[in-house]
Amino acid sequence: MLLSIPHLILLLFSWSWGIHAASPSHEEIVGDFFNKNGHAGSTSNHTNNWAVLVCASRYWFNYRHMANALGMYRTVKRLGIPDSNIILMLADDAACNARNKFPGSVYANPGRGLDLYGDNIEVDYRGYEVTVENFIRVLTGRMEPSVPRSKRLLTDARSNVFVYMTGHGGNEFLKFQDNEEISAFDIADAFEQMWQKRRYNEIFFMIDTCQANTMYSKFYSPNILATGSSKMDQNSYSYENDNDIGVAVIDRYTHYVLEYMERINKTSHETMRDLFDSYDRDKIGSDPGVRADLFPRPLDEVRITDFFGGVAQVEVQPPCVAEDVSLPGDFSSEGDVSLSNDSSSEDQQSAQSPVHAGGKAAGAWGQSTDRGSDGWRGTRAWGGILLLAALVGWAGWGK
Amino acid sequence: MPPHIHPEGTTLRDPSKLFHQTDYIRRLIIASYWVIIILAIPLWWQTTSIERLSLPTSRVHAQAENKLRFPVHIKLESVQDASLPSALRHLLQDRIRRSPQAWKGLDVRVREVRDGQDVDAVEPADSYTIKADDGIPLVSQRQLTYPVRGGTLPILADALASLLVPPIDAHRVAQYSPRYRLAFTLLNEDAAAGKSISGWDISGAISRHLSPILSGLSVLHNFTIESQVQFHAPLAFSPTRLDKGYGLTPEDLTVFVNSAEWSLSSSVSNDPVLHFIVFIPSASRRPLQILDAHGLPSSSDAFLLPQWGGIVIYNPPPELDAHVQLPSSALNAVFSAFANQLLALLGVPGLPREMRTDASVLTGWQLDALLRRRALENAEGAQDTLESIVKLVDQIENMPVGQDVRGDVQDALTALDKMYASASASLNETLRQSADALTLASRAFFNPGMLALLYFPAEHNFAVYTPLFASAMIPLIAAAIREVSVWRKQRREAAQALE
Repeated sequence: MLLSIPHLILLLFSWSWGIHAASPSHEEIVGDFFNKNGHAGSTSNHTNNWAVLVCASRYWFNYRHMANALGMYRTVKRLGIPDSNIILMLADDAACNARNKFPGSVYANPGRGLDLYGDNIEVDYRGYEVTVENFIRVLTGRMEPSVPRSKRLLTDARSNVFVYMTGHGGNEFLKFQDNEEISAFDIADAFEQMWQKRRYNEIFFMIDTCQANTMYSKFYSPNILATGSSKMDQNSYSYENDNDIGVAVIDRYTHYVLEYMERINKTSHETMRDLFDSYDRDKIGSDPGVRADLFPRPLDEVRITDFFGGVAQVEVQPPCVAEDVSLPGDFSSEGDVSLSNDSSSEDQQSAQSPVHAGGKAAGAWGQSTDRGSDGWRGTRAWGGILLLAALVGWAGWGK
Repeated sequence: MPPHIHPEGTTLRDPSKLFHQTDYIRRLIIASYWVIIILAIPLWWQTTSIERLSLPTSRVHAQAENKLRFPVHIKLESVQDASLPSALRHLLQDRIRRSPQAWKGLDVRVREVRDGQDVDAVEPADSYTIKADDGIPLVSQRQLTYPVRGGTLPILADALASLLVPPIDAHRVAQYSPRYRLAFTLLNEDAAAGKSISGWDISGAISRHLSPILSGLSVLHNFTIESQVQFHAPLAFSPTRLDKGYGLTPEDLTVFVNSAEWSLSSSVSNDPVLHFIVFIPSASRRPLQILDAHGLPSSSDAFLLPQWGGIVIYNPPPELDAHVQLPSSALNAVFSAFANQLLALLGVPGLPREMRTDASVLTGWQLDALLRRRALENAEGAQDTLESIVKLVDQIENMPVGQDVRGDVQDALTALDKMYASASASLNETLRQSADALTLASRAFFNPGMLALLYFPAEHNFAVYTPLFASAMIPLIAAAIREVSVWRKQRREAAQALE
């Protein structure tokens, strides 16, 4: 009894600190980036697209998370990202689960119209390989030399990366397979490391979990556009059950995003603004969030295919009737007809126009500056020590 | 009635007389706990601390200030007018002033040579020669034959600018890698529809068309080549129907590669891959033509995807038999297109339009310009990477830094030093050192051991460790305090008894 009371008090204290502990530790860095890189007005000049799709749950009752990730996989593949550029992390125990009445299939709608598992699925990280460590390694590129190409994110400074995560989460964390969790800080640091090594041009981060919007609140690297399914202290809900499968088959947010994506094809001109405007709070049952303060381009000029598509530009080359080996006289611009998706005049416009979306969103999601956070942390630590000392004293002299 | 019944003959024993309740033994037992804990602290510290070796931070920052500079010596030969060299010098200075970014890292010197007699005695290793001679401008290895006159001088200066610092489309050029894989694919859209192409003389075509280029570029890159023939490679869209045949609109071209269904390269290594594809449309869709922006068929049959590779569409003539090899005339056309695309993707600069060349593959001007640009890029990349390692290690507190990371950082710095030392002597050596520096710096950055520990908020640490340690520590501390107070009381009493 003597021991359990201090425990109780300590735990209570630490819990109550946790409530107040929304202190971001990277404000100054964020500030730096705002001054240096923010709103530079760059346009998307990526040449390749990559996708990292993570389903962080396992077990049969999380069927819907598998379906979320596979639905997203199907969409990015349909829109032109090759399998070699998709890293799919999936517990993958739904399709061949003993409880699955439809073996080898994963459906995302109650009518079971579309088999998401299909015959052409390449899961790169499967089962117990889906860990926080592996996810961070994929992002940062810190791999053993023996890791095969298919498991690597071989991006460069001209890659647009789409990161999708789903699972069970909470305030600033996402649980990985019931035994570990990744925090918002870890993802933010991983993105910063990618930025430092020029491993991306732009990132689009999407997350469907409870309190999802907290997961992107710690980002501080430039050129990241983020969206989530629900705000802090809010749950994200599943969409519908299938009575034969017996569990919920997909989450609402992902369902409506995918439903919207079905209207998009490879050459679609719809923008991110259109996608975000399609969010319907009443249908989704939570408040989806968008964070665009790190993203320099106005959202209504960012095409969805910038992140979900394949190639942005091609150059048609002049006819060549050379018989022998001869050095082509000229590769320079004159002979080539540039057929960029984004016409260059449009690019220039967006380069010059002020950044509406970024500016507006900065107010909503911007720097929640808490200058005294370090001092507060120190106080907290000393408080803990004092409390311990008091308890010891009480136990020692109390008799 | 007494509270306890004892057997006959036994007496109550005083607890303080038990051997383990004597003051000495009891204190020894309590002290032994503390001794073990104190002795274990260094071990605990050792096993839980992260190895963070110090990096040569100041050297990295100092190195980042360095800028690579290449001396470029231009000799003017057999010029009639003695004022021409200085006039050319002025014109070049003017161009350098106008676009300093393009001329970054170049120290251009123009000298005059008369009748084989060098005005300067010193002869730099790699210098360029401009020979005054009438006729069409001719570019040879490191020599330019040009009608040098007062009137042509500005044009000559422009020509020199495009030879020394050719404009480059950074968007198209693949990022530098010491190794590339070239994947050649012959795709039949649908061989079952008949009249397909069943094979090609790929090794002959490579040795005829590509080998000279590849060996010319061997200073820069190592190439691995793989090839394949596929017989079913459907498009993901339907081409536009034309009066005669089918057409690909500009938008179709951007989604032409059906990566979901074509497997284009093996994944045996992590080297970057450049793809080269000959696409044979299905017999029912011939001819397949590329349309221009106005929807009219263009004469071109090849296009390039920046940093990815090149595609050539080949429509076999109707009189061709079914299932034959790719005819040699077509093979030549396809491979000259591939050669063009390869050079474009690797950033090999072209020659100015009005100039002819007698070199078979690449002139020294082109290769040097490419080497200089790649070396500058690599040096910058290596410096950036080193700086970001230092910055990240500083910023992320629980990121380990092992011996191998430090070694790689030091080796990269050494390679950079060697690179600067060789910049005025040998371009090849400079490039090699710059590539080494970049590889080493990247390897240090991507070291698997550099994975930071996960972030845990302070309250998590409290919640985890308090139940574990407090239950063990509180009785120990309490016992120690009680023992000390008892001992002090005893001492006080002993002192009073003495008085």
